[in-house]
Amino acid sequence: MKIITWFGTLTLDDNGKLLEWDLFQKDTNVLAESLVQPKETEIDIPPAGFNLRAVAMECGFVASNDEYNNLLRDVSIRAAKQQISSGTPDMGVIQAVEALDDIDETTNTLSERLAEWNGMYFPEVGLSSEPLARFVAKYGSRSNVLPDDNLYEKATSSMGAELTGLDEKLVKGFADNICTLYDSRSRIEEYLVKSMEITAPNLVNIAGALIGARLVSMAGGLEKLARFPSSTIQVIGANRALFKHLRARAPSPKHGIIFNNPIIKNAPWWQRGKISRAFAAKITLAVRMDVYSGELNESIKTELDAKIESIKAANPRPPKRENKNKNKGGKGRKQKAGGRR
Amino acid sequence: MAAKEVSAGIFEITERGGKQLATINLVPGASVYGEKLIEIKGCEYRIWNPKRSKLAAMVIKKFNIPIKRDSKVLYLGAASGTTVSHVSDIVSDGIVYAVEFSPRTMRDLIGLCDERPNIIPILADANRPQAYAHIVEEVDVIFQDVAQPNQSEIAAVNVKRFLKSDGHLLLSIKARSIDTVANPKKVFKEEVRKLEHDFDVGFEVLDSRELMPFHEDHLGVMARVRPAL
Repeated sequence: MKIITWFGTLTLDDNGKLLEWDLFQKDTNVLAESLVQPKETEIDIPPAGFNLRAVAMECGFVASNDEYNNLLRDVSIRAAKQQISSGTPDMGVIQAVEALDDIDETTNTLSERLAEWNGMYFPEVGLSSEPLARFVAKYGSRSNVLPDDNLYEKATSSMGAELTGLDEKLVKGFADNICTLYDSRSRIEEYLVKSMEITAPNLVNIAGALIGARLVSMAGGLEKLARFPSSTIQVIGANRALFKHLRARAPSPKHGIIFNNPIIKNAPWWQRGKISRAFAAKITLAVRMDVYSGELNESIKTELDAKIESIKAANPRPPKRENKNKNKGGKGRKQKAGGRR
Repeated sequence: MAAKEVSAGIFEITERGGKQLATINLVPGASVYGEKLIEIKGCEYRIWNPKRSKLAAMVIKKFNIPIKRDSKVLYLGAASGTTVSHVSDIVSDGIVYAVEFSPRTMRDLIGLCDERPNIIPILADANRPQAYAHIVEEVDVIFQDVAQPNQSEIAAVNVKRFLKSDGHLLLSIKARSIDTVANPKKVFKEEVRKLEHDFDVGFEVLDSRELMPFHEDHLGVMARVRPAL
């Protein structure tokens, strides 16, 4: 019987006695390389209870326990480093999406602060979030607003306090920082669109670059996403609702993050569940095509559009809502919210 | 301040009336994950928080920890190495084979292995012990914290291949990863039953206790292979 170990291949007789051996070169890189090679078949691995350490010494590969430990440690560390360093483009997409979410969260907090802060000096400005940050970063105090700006009137007649000196510097600098974050956000978004169009053209075609990227991020990679069933893709991102549904008698969620696509978001409520299902099904097909063929296939999109049209035609009106059971005294069976809506 | 050895290499430090677990730092001066370092009589200890480590919780729950100074340990589900670092402290003359499946957490684990002389990192799926059978030798203790639905099966296949006949299995069973909705008590009972009867290695469960209040819905189990009659 021939078996493979981390230090070489061995030939054993039927009683497990060592007959001959072919040792690998005693070099960390070489050993790590052979460690990473996948070993699939049962025949090639040591039997249960095989004493690797004793055999390594018997063959003269190492002289002592310490040498065995140290060499195996160095080799394993090298091998593990090699295994984790193989990054794929969808890993970049995942980091970018998460960065986007972090920036959104941060800019929201900071923008609220800026609105409060600037409100002391120019409460009538009527701007918020990005436009406000751009405005304050540009002018600082409202006394600097130029006559051709359409906020000039308000700026000159404002009831706010004067913003001068160190205060102005601080507020303006703060707004500057927020603007930098917004700039960074739009660069990341650009990158996402470009990189998604290359790595997953079909997914972008069906779901759009951002939702596509989010799906990839939540699945943990494009290939993992391709292995998801479409029912998972339909509710991915609706974890709380899903677990509530599984645990109690809450209704099942109709859509997770795919809701953000206008074809669901803009559909009337009674069509959303049906559209989500069709949409998720096509996303599943698209991702699989991206992973396993890599070519753009327009027919998925046409089929999806046709399906949505037929859903809309078949369900033009909202269904009648069931009467809520008004008998609160507990007599008669209480209607519970359950089942698919 | 005083340190009392409660199990091989595991100490109970009494400081201002409060008691804390600790291990002797194998790499003096280095804190692995932000834990506190305390020096007593020229010896540096690392505080071991039972809320962050199921093994530490098992120590506090009075499990008779079978890990010795020269033990060989197979650690399944090493994660970023919080608990592994303490096991590495305990087995200062032994070795820890740390198996972890996620490349992301492996990154942190490798950082730990670089600093310590007795941890062997293995990026592999604990479901498939044949993938690391060419690396791992027979061990005295298998510690498993994998939070997988089939964790008792994982324990069985690894024990069969790697555990010495007089070795011990330490297992942390997370009810929520086996069945999110079932009653944890029922899940525990079923898992223990499985360990005792379902696999071709029969286990003898020596001890099992819930790890409350440190870890919710977790059961600590210590077992050994039932000797052939």
